[in-house]
Amino acid sequence: MLELQQITRSFAGTKVLDEVSFTVPRGALTGFVGANGAGKTTTMRIIMGLLNAHGGRLTLDGAALDAPTRPNFGYMPEERGLYPKQPVIDQLIYLGQLHGLARGTARTRAMDLLARFGLADRAKSRLEALSLGNQQRVQVAAALLHEPDVLVLDEPFSGLDPLAVDAMSSILRDYAARGVPVLFSSHQLDLLDTLVDHLVIIQEGKILANAPASELRTAQASRHRLALGADAGWLRTEPGVEVIDLSGEHALVSFGTPADGQRVLAHALSRGTVTQFALHRPALADIYREIIA
Amino acid sequence: MNTLATPAWLIVTLREVETKLRDKAFIISTLVTLLLIIGSIAVTGFLATRTTQFSVAATDQASLTVLNQAASDAEDQLKINVEQLPADDATAQLDVGELDATLSQGPANKFTLTGSDEVPDKLHGALREATEKVLTARLLTSAGLNADQLPGDGALTVTQMHGDAERASMIKAMAFLFSFLFYMSALIFGMPIANSVIEEKQNRVVEILAGAINLRQLLAGKILGNVILALAQLLLFLSVGLFAAYLSPVQIPFLGVVSQVAGWFVAFFLVGFLVLAGIWATLGALASRTEDLQQSSGPVVGVLMAVLFIGIYAKDGFLVIASYVPIVSSVAMPIRLLGGEVSLVEPLISLALTLATCWFTILFAERIYRRAVMHTGGALTLRKALKLEL
Repeated sequence: MLELQQITRSFAGTKVLDEVSFTVPRGALTGFVGANGAGKTTTMRIIMGLLNAHGGRLTLDGAALDAPTRPNFGYMPEERGLYPKQPVIDQLIYLGQLHGLARGTARTRAMDLLARFGLADRAKSRLEALSLGNQQRVQVAAALLHEPDVLVLDEPFSGLDPLAVDAMSSILRDYAARGVPVLFSSHQLDLLDTLVDHLVIIQEGKILANAPASELRTAQASRHRLALGADAGWLRTEPGVEVIDLSGEHALVSFGTPADGQRVLAHALSRGTVTQFALHRPALADIYREIIA
Repeated sequence: MNTLATPAWLIVTLREVETKLRDKAFIISTLVTLLLIIGSIAVTGFLATRTTQFSVAATDQASLTVLNQAASDAEDQLKINVEQLPADDATAQLDVGELDATLSQGPANKFTLTGSDEVPDKLHGALREATEKVLTARLLTSAGLNADQLPGDGALTVTQMHGDAERASMIKAMAFLFSFLFYMSALIFGMPIANSVIEEKQNRVVEILAGAINLRQLLAGKILGNVILALAQLLLFLSVGLFAAYLSPVQIPFLGVVSQVAGWFVAFFLVGFLVLAGIWATLGALASRTEDLQQSSGPVVGVLMAVLFIGIYAKDGFLVIASYVPIVSSVAMPIRLLGGEVSLVEPLISLALTLATCWFTILFAERIYRRAVMHTGGALTLRKALKLEL
């Protein structure tokens, strides 16, 4: 488990990270979301040792991460780019060597990864000759080459077409399943819904949420969606019911107690048809909007 | 997997060297320079040993005297074949090209040199001198004097207290060569240090690299790679040049001294280049795009031009001062050493001074590099870069 404890950082007197604490558990995909300028990239750079924290502690399985470099971390920075003029395989080997692999091992691993991404026949092409999506795959290959113990990816999905998004998702799941802590940031909230197991929300340098996705959903799951045969307006006057959204026969409500729910259901049935009475499973996107509001 | 089999700086160094060696433009320019060096030595040798021959006929006795005088006075690379022919025969042979020229005496001690369609300058010059000599001698004899008593070329001999004229011209030539080699290498191998720093900064590869290895090692590898390349190329040029000079049929004077000083030059080149490498790395880190370098490299290119001109033109006191100023000393001290009158202590002190400068420059470059290379958005000034926090 990768853990950040009260990490702070300022730039020219402006506090960018304010006691940021969260965890990136093993065996799970951790999504890191926040608006532009919320502090995601700064946080990731501190995790990677590219920036120093002004305060706080960073630990991996309880041991402090002190060395300025993290040879066994896989990292994909937000701004993409490797060496545009160099053949793909050459730069992967080079990066693999810098991560401590022998040249031969680096070559084998690089070819394996390229094959997996369907790029085996492009190994000798210069990077700039590849499409953007394929360049991004090479970038991911660069991050995975040395079989990292921790994976930190800044916006790995940006600029990818739907097929590439699927491919990337399956790769990330794979790594998480191996027990590697995976932290990735994303703007595509709908994507998070199906992908992440753990969610960290940051706003203006402060962590607003740091919990398993299921937990966040349950916290928001006291809501029910109702669909009736006739106008649902009477729900507004029912005791123990808070109407969140109402349009014609459909309503999104929150009950004071489970008993309130059962009572309202019985009442609704006595008034006419009930076509839906269901626990509302909120999308993470909704949760995010709710939390940052 | 975690233990680095090869140190990171070495991997970076090897990559720099490998990339350059695969660069066709670099290989071609090196080969062309080599050919130029060999070619210019070969041409000099050829020109120096080539003998020019002229066949000239005299149509009368006076002309024959002049021609014989010219033939005996002619310098080593000029040979004049003299014969005496009747005017008609001479004209006929000149016409068919068996003769290069004919000489005949006209009225009032005037001679006429006739060529077929041109008279070679060399021949013209030789005969003009001979004519003057013969006529003067004749005049003196008629006045009862001996030509040897006249003041002549020998009246003023030139000697130098330090060295001699030949040595001075050798120093001039070598000064130009050293200055030019340094200038060229500093640009050819210095600029790529800055460019490769910018490339990694611009593409943000540096973030991936910095996550894996220490930036200090990255910088060290980059500088070392280019130093190795620059030094290897310089050694290649110098050794091929010296070897070609050694094989050349012409006795090239001072080859021993030149070889010795070439060794000093290599040492001075190395430390001077290291100072520059630090400066180039700093410039690269401050820039945000390749275009920024064009502006910021101005002062460095200016310094290099100054080195070139100081190397070629500086003399005496100025040269002595220059031989202690780092970077400039890389050229100035070897030039002084060519004179052979510098004690061993001087180059050692100068070398130590440059080494100290080198140490500070590289440390400073590393300081700037570590701060500025992660910076995104516009080019930085030195002051701003120093204020950046890691």
